[in-house]
Amino acid sequence: MKIYERLMTIDRRIIYAILLVVVTLPLVFPSVLKVTPMTPVEKLFTAVDNTPDDKALILDCSYAPQIKAEVEPMAIAVLRHAFKTRKKILVLSLYVEMIGLATRAINQVVEEFNSVAETYEDSLIYGRDYVFLGWQPPPIVPMLGMGESISNIYVVDYYGNQTDTLQIMQKVKNYNDISILVALSGSTIPISWVAYAQNRYGLRVGVGCTAVSGADFYTYYQTGQFTGLMVGMKGAAEYEELVEANHGVKGRRVASEAMLSLTYAHLIIMLFIVIGNIGFFLHRRRK
Amino acid sequence: MNISTDPWVWIASILSLAILSFLYKENPFFRAAEHIFLGVANGYLVTFYWHRILMPILFRPLFQQGDLLLIIPFIIGMLYLTRFIPRISWLVRIPIAIYMGYWTGVLIPATIQAKIIKQVQGTILTAPNFQSWNAGTMGIVWSVTVFIGVLCTLSYFYFSREHKGVIGVTSRVGIVFVMIGFGAAFGYTVMARISLLIGKLQYLLGDWLGIIR
Repeated sequence: MKIYERLMTIDRRIIYAILLVVVTLPLVFPSVLKVTPMTPVEKLFTAVDNTPDDKALILDCSYAPQIKAEVEPMAIAVLRHAFKTRKKILVLSLYVEMIGLATRAINQVVEEFNSVAETYEDSLIYGRDYVFLGWQPPPIVPMLGMGESISNIYVVDYYGNQTDTLQIMQKVKNYNDISILVALSGSTIPISWVAYAQNRYGLRVGVGCTAVSGADFYTYYQTGQFTGLMVGMKGAAEYEELVEANHGVKGRRVASEAMLSLTYAHLIIMLFIVIGNIGFFLHRRRK
Repeated sequence: MNISTDPWVWIASILSLAILSFLYKENPFFRAAEHIFLGVANGYLVTFYWHRILMPILFRPLFQQGDLLLIIPFIIGMLYLTRFIPRISWLVRIPIAIYMGYWTGVLIPATIQAKIIKQVQGTILTAPNFQSWNAGTMGIVWSVTVFIGVLCTLSYFYFSREHKGVIGVTSRVGIVFVMIGFGAAFGYTVMARISLLIGKLQYLLGDWLGIIR
């Protein structure tokens, strides 16, 4: 078999095996890869950071298990940022299968902060500092309805508490009391937030999305419809970097840990693309 | 190495490996895991809809608390089931018509505003658009690039005239922009898929086997 024929017929399982090794080794033997935050992520960070004391932020955790690896680190980074700077935060999910993951992210970050809190004031208290509104279908109902009254749409929170009795909700009535909504999603949900909540009520929307959505979403960032944008695991790593660098929040940085694996995997895929093309051109030349 | 003693972690890990085994070839472990996933996902959805939607929002207020207004959406919803009775199956058109009418009214203005008007505004060569790039004087270059790219790409999809002369040139430039767009989308897709692999390996090597922290 000629060399170009071999290049053209490499068994895909060999490629998978090489990729597996390349991705695994940096995880087992980690080293630091400096992440430089880009402007879209910095803008999102600044928007969350500048949330006034009399306003809250909404975190829409609408990510399903299949994209957890990319988007959950974003949720954790935004929650750490909000809790560290003592922003009031309302968390919700627009679809049922995402509720478990949202609860998991909240519990993890609250536990991180409360395990080192020394006083009641330092602690994160449910109903005072944050609330999990849960799920209210269909998505357009909360998107439009919260512009009038959040408590009317989410009469009870995820745990069954009357939302209008919670301390945090005494000053947060509708979108007028919201500084920014951060939508974490692998679908077009962020565009729906823009179409319904932003167009009608002027709500600012920041986004964390999967890398697959990145190319589509940059146009909304360019037009200013998205205040800021985190794309994929790299976007999450950049936000983690900003939170640690600016507020000294220490904690496991899952996305940052993965950057080396991601880089090597990209390099090896680029190499495979080059090899495949060399094989293709040699093959065509022989013909 | 600190292997997990949590049985749920073991179940999740074994099922993950069963799904990943498809990369080698189709096999019974993959098929079993696939069926378990479908069954569990459907069961979860059905029970969740029953307990968190139908019961608290419809059945309990209607039948236990006497909120009679809910009889209207209840009847409209039940009309979907007439699909299974051939003699009155035409009644299914009523809820479908209501649903379509509602969504058309809600979607069209919002979509035009968010996806067309604002996007077109983003391509116009104005000072705020130059500044939106945060790139100083280069902002003008990027805005002009977007402007040319949009016009050329639109001309590529203009099929009412043969692509000759000016349209021939602009459509050829347009296809370059389209290809760059495809390349960016493909690159991002690779990044996404590798990220998912990394996430799964972090779970298997960390949460399950305890090899990484």
